[in-house]
Amino acid sequence: MEAIADASFLIDWARFSLRDLLFRLFRVVWIPEDVLSEIQSESTLMWVAEHLASGDMSLFPTLPEYRDRALRLVELSRRGPTRGLDFPEAYCIAVAEDRGYVVLSENGAAYAAQFLYTTAKVWRAYEVLWELRSKGVVPDDVIFTYQEETKHKFPQGDLQKWRSYRS
Amino acid sequence: MTESLAEREREARELRRREADWNYINSLPPKLKTALMFYIETGDLYVAAKIAGLKVEEFNELRIRAKIPHVN
Repeated sequence: MEAIADASFLIDWARFSLRDLLFRLFRVVWIPEDVLSEIQSESTLMWVAEHLASGDMSLFPTLPEYRDRALRLVELSRRGPTRGLDFPEAYCIAVAEDRGYVVLSENGAAYAAQFLYTTAKVWRAYEVLWELRSKGVVPDDVIFTYQEETKHKFPQGDLQKWRSYRS
Repeated sequence: MTESLAEREREARELRRREADWNYINSLPPKLKTALMFYIETGDLYVAAKIAGLKVEEFNELRIRAKIPHVN
């Protein structure tokens, strides 16, 4: 399985002590070139650079066919009932639709898109952690560790669903 | 599905409003304050960063200092 990540996912995930477990799920995590330019901190850049060097991550170029599809997705999203997509996550979705990647994003509009107007799968850290737990790679309380370390919060409904499942 | 997605957005917005450090936000220059208020209302990190004139990760550091949770 391969994934393509936007900045909202990477900057949170990079703060997580178990961040390298991402590569137990994905053979390659693609990073759009524009996303790389949004990353600023030394620690996140070092993590990304390390995995670009090892081949776990790879840069995804800006290609005209995906730019066009991304712009159409942005337009489509603005006509819908939920918050509209911005170009960077729309670009990830456009690539994922065509190439079968999973989109990694913490953007609410990207998350909603998979239920409304795209065939691409969009995973937040929540779905990544869920998958890692179901493989027995992380303990049940990992979601609370993630929230504490990254200062990210998951909606109450998702936390209830998490607690109701026992590995 | 549309209703539950809208409910998620409402819940996230309420949490951002409630936990934000408004004293800190109000002490900032107008551009940064406006960007954080936009983020609180929308959760849109990318556009908020553009309003602030910052890279997404720089804006995320500002968000953390303002105690605004990233909810999704």
